[in-house]
Amino acid sequence: MLVGLVATAALTLSACGGGTSGTSGQSAGPDAKAGQGGTLQVLANAAFSHLDPARGFDGGVNNFYRLIYRTLTTQGAAPGAEGTKIVPDLATDTGKPSDGGKTWTFTLKDGVFFETGAPITSADVKWGVERAWDPEIGIGSPYAKQLIEAPASYQGPFKSGDLATIATPDAKTIVFHLKKAFADFGSVVAQNTFTPVPKGQGAGNQLDSKPISSGPYKLADYKPGASLKLVRNDKWDKKTDDVRTANPDAFQWTFGLDPATIDERMLAGQGTDADAIAGTVQAATVARMQTPQLKQRTMTGINGCTTYMGLNTTKKPLDNVKVRQAINLAVNKQTVRDADGGSALAEIGNTIQPPTITGRVDYDPYPSPDNKGDIEGARKLLTEAGLANGFTMTLDTRAQPKMQAMAVAIQQALEPLKVTVKINTIDTATYYEVIGTTSQQHDAAITGWCPDWPSGATFLPPLFDGRNITPKGNTNLSQLNDPGVNAKIDEIAKLTDVNAANAAYGELDKQIMALAPVVPLLYEKVLMLVGSNIGGAYLHDGFSGGIDLVSVGLKDAGK
Amino acid sequence: MTTTAGGTGAALLEVPEVGPSAPAGGPPTSGRRIPTTITGDKGALACLVFLAIVVLMAVAAPLITKLSGWGPYQFDSAAINSDLGGVPHGSLGGISGSHWFGVEPQNGRDLFARIVYGARVSITISLSATLLTGILGVVLGMLAGFYRGWVDQVISRLMDFLMAFPALIFMIAILSSLPSGNRPVLLVVVISVFGWPYLARVIRGQTMTLANREFVEAARASGAKDTQVVFREILPNLRGSIVVMTTLAIPGFIGTEAGLSFLGVGVSPPTASWGQMIASSVSWYSVDPMFFAIPGAFLFLTVLSLTVLGDKIRTLIDQGEAA
Repeated sequence: MLVGLVATAALTLSACGGGTSGTSGQSAGPDAKAGQGGTLQVLANAAFSHLDPARGFDGGVNNFYRLIYRTLTTQGAAPGAEGTKIVPDLATDTGKPSDGGKTWTFTLKDGVFFETGAPITSADVKWGVERAWDPEIGIGSPYAKQLIEAPASYQGPFKSGDLATIATPDAKTIVFHLKKAFADFGSVVAQNTFTPVPKGQGAGNQLDSKPISSGPYKLADYKPGASLKLVRNDKWDKKTDDVRTANPDAFQWTFGLDPATIDERMLAGQGTDADAIAGTVQAATVARMQTPQLKQRTMTGINGCTTYMGLNTTKKPLDNVKVRQAINLAVNKQTVRDADGGSALAEIGNTIQPPTITGRVDYDPYPSPDNKGDIEGARKLLTEAGLANGFTMTLDTRAQPKMQAMAVAIQQALEPLKVTVKINTIDTATYYEVIGTTSQQHDAAITGWCPDWPSGATFLPPLFDGRNITPKGNTNLSQLNDPGVNAKIDEIAKLTDVNAANAAYGELDKQIMALAPVVPLLYEKVLMLVGSNIGGAYLHDGFSGGIDLVSVGLKDAGK
Repeated sequence: MTTTAGGTGAALLEVPEVGPSAPAGGPPTSGRRIPTTITGDKGALACLVFLAIVVLMAVAAPLITKLSGWGPYQFDSAAINSDLGGVPHGSLGGISGSHWFGVEPQNGRDLFARIVYGARVSITISLSATLLTGILGVVLGMLAGFYRGWVDQVISRLMDFLMAFPALIFMIAILSSLPSGNRPVLLVVVISVFGWPYLARVIRGQTMTLANREFVEAARASGAKDTQVVFREILPNLRGSIVVMTTLAIPGFIGTEAGLSFLGVGVSPPTASWGQMIASSVSWYSVDPMFFAIPGAFLFLTVLSLTVLGDKIRTLIDQGEAA
C-alpha cells in the first residue's frame, strides 16, 4: 500500500505535472470553450509509470486513466471544489450502504461497453478489483485491499481464484463487503483499482502494454518512454457519461523531453505546439512568462500536496519535542520557497494538510515574522532542552537540484543555532525506498505527500499513525507513535458522517503539530503554459493540479 | 549536455605527450632561464598574473570574503525577486556595490564569494590530483623502465588497462555509487587512479633510454648501487619531462573536476564549485546570462593560462635540451 502512496509523493515533487486548483484567476485563453476534434499534444519529461490501472497510482496517471478507463464513481470535471466531488461514473449512483456502512451496493449503467464491443458487466468490475490483491499487479492504490474483507491468503484471481466478499447477484449489480464500516466508500470506488477488466484478462504485464479501454479513448500506438497516441473509442457512448466531454479526436504524448526544451517550445508555441499542453515550468522560465501574451496562456494554482521535512523522533536529540519545535520555529520558509522557485511556484505551508483538503483549518503553530524563522524563540527552546551549544543532524535529500537547494536553505536557517546540518544526498531512484526503511533513515528528510482524495483520511493516518510504522516502505517518516494521536485516529475512523470526520482531521492536524514531528514547508504550485489553440482547460484539484484531460480541447481543430 | 561535458573531460585528461625531442635527456635545464624568459613574454606573463590572482583568492578566501561582506553560503533574499522565480534584482545578474559579481538566482548567494571559494576547490583538487598522479606516475614509470622484465610487464599491462578504460564513464559510475563521504578526497583519488598512466608511460620510456646511456653505464661501472643510479643519474634527467607533464596535467584536472561537478557527481552542495555553478546556470542562460558568464570565464581563463604556461615551459625545456 505504501509503494503507491510514495509514488504519488515522488511524482509530485519531481514536478512532472500534476494538477492545480481551480482557485487561480484563469485567463481568457485556455478557459475559452473547446471545440470538437483535432489532435491535442502533450509534451512531457517523465513517461507514465504504468498503463495498468491496478499498478499506476500518481497524479500523472490518475488524470490520464480517466481518458481510457471508467470507474464505478469518479471525481467531477470542473474547477475548484466541484472537481473533487464524487459523482457516479459506471455506476448509477455513488453507492448504497447497508449493514451500518459495512456493505456497499452499486448498480451499473446500461449501454456501457469495452473497446472490444463487449458489454461491461459486474463480473468485469469484480475481476478488475480482485487483481488488486495480486502481489505482482496490485502495487497501485491500496484502498481496495485495506477496506474490502478478504482472506489473508488471498492473492488475486490468477493465483487464488474467486473472492467471495465481492458479490455479483446479476450482471448489473456488485456488492462489496468491507472489513469494517467505512462512510466514504463512495470515494474509494473512484480509485484506479475499480476499473473494469474483462474477466480472464490482464495477467502479468498485459495491460501495461495494451490497456483494454472502457473510456472515450483507446490506445492507438505506444512506444514506452517515447510516445503514446490515443484515438477515439467508438464503443464509448457519450449518453452514459456525464463527466467526460472528450473534445479532441486524438491525444499525442511525447515523453523524454528535457524540461528546458519543453519550456522553450511552450514559450515559442510554434506549429503543433500551439495545440500542446505541458507540465509546470522551471523556475528560470518564470521571469520570461511576464508578457501579456504569455500571461494569457498561463495557468496556475496549488497542486494539493504538502512538501515537508520529517523529523525522526526516534533519534537523539530529535526525540525531545522542544528541539523539534525549535527547528519548526527556526526554519526560514522564505528561503526554502525561493529554492523551490519563488512565490510563483510555491506557497508557504504551515499546516500538515494542504488547502485543498476539505475541513482543513488554516493556522500557524510556529509563527515568525514573514515566515523567515524565529531564531530567538528557537534558541530559547534549545536552551531549555539543554542544547544551547547546538548539535549535528543529518538531512536526507534527493539528488535533484531543487531538493538539494531546499536542503541547503534549511542548513543555512539552522546555522545560527549552532545546529550543523549534514546533507546526505540520495539517488533519486532509490530515495523513497531508503527513507522508508527505518534502519537506513537518518535524522530528517525532505519529502512530500499528496492526498488520494481530498480528505484528511488519506493524509494524516498514513503519515502519523504509530501502528503503521513498518521496517520497510514506512510512510510515518517521523516514526511518531503517540497514544493521543493514535486514539484520535481511531475515533475519527468510527465517524459515519464524512463532513464531521473531515472537520475532526482539521483538529487532529493541530494536535499533531503541537508535537512538531514534521516541519511543513511548502504547498507547491502548478504553473504551466498552454498552447494558444488550447481551450476548455482548467486545473483539476483532484489530480495534483493537472489540466483536466477529459475536458480540455482545441479551440479550432482545423488550425 | 552530458556528451559535451564528457567529451571535454576525457579530452582534458589525455595530456599531450612530450614531443620526441624531449626524451633526449641532455644537460639539465637552467633553473633561472625559464622564469626570466617567461616574465619577458607578455602573453605568458599575463597568464602568470591571472594564475597568481586565482591562487591568492584560493589561499586568502576567508579574508577576501570578509572584505567583500558576504560569505559563500550566506543567503540574501533581498537580492532576488521571489515573484519571478528567484531571478536577481537589477541588471547583469544583480551586480552591485555589495555583490561585486552579482548573486546566484533563487537564493541570493554572493557570486564573488562563491567564485573565490570555488577557486579553492578547483586548485586544491587539481593540485592534490597532480601530486598524487605525479608520485604514482614517476614511481611506477621508473620501476617499469628500470627493472624491466616482469615488473615492466605487470605495470605496463595495468597502464594499458587503465588507459583503454572509458575513464569518464567509469568515474561517473564510481562517484555516483559511492556514499557521499569526503567528496574532495574521493575526487582526487578517482581522478588520480585514471590519470597516472599518462605520465608513467612517458617516464617509463625515458627511463629505458636513460638506463642505457653512457653516464649510467659509467656510474654502474664505478660501483654505484641501484638506488644511487636512480636518484643521482636518472631522476635528475627526468626533471624536465616531469615539470612539463604535470604543468599540462593541472588544467586537465581542473577541467575534469568541473566536468564531474557539472554532471552532479563532484563536490556536494553547498560547497562552491565552478563546475557546479555552471551546471546550475544552464537553465538560467536566457534570464541571467551573467550567472553562466562569470564562473565560465574563470574556468576558461584558468585552464587557458595553465595550458599556455605549460606549453611555454615545454618549449623552453625543449630548446634548452636542444642547445
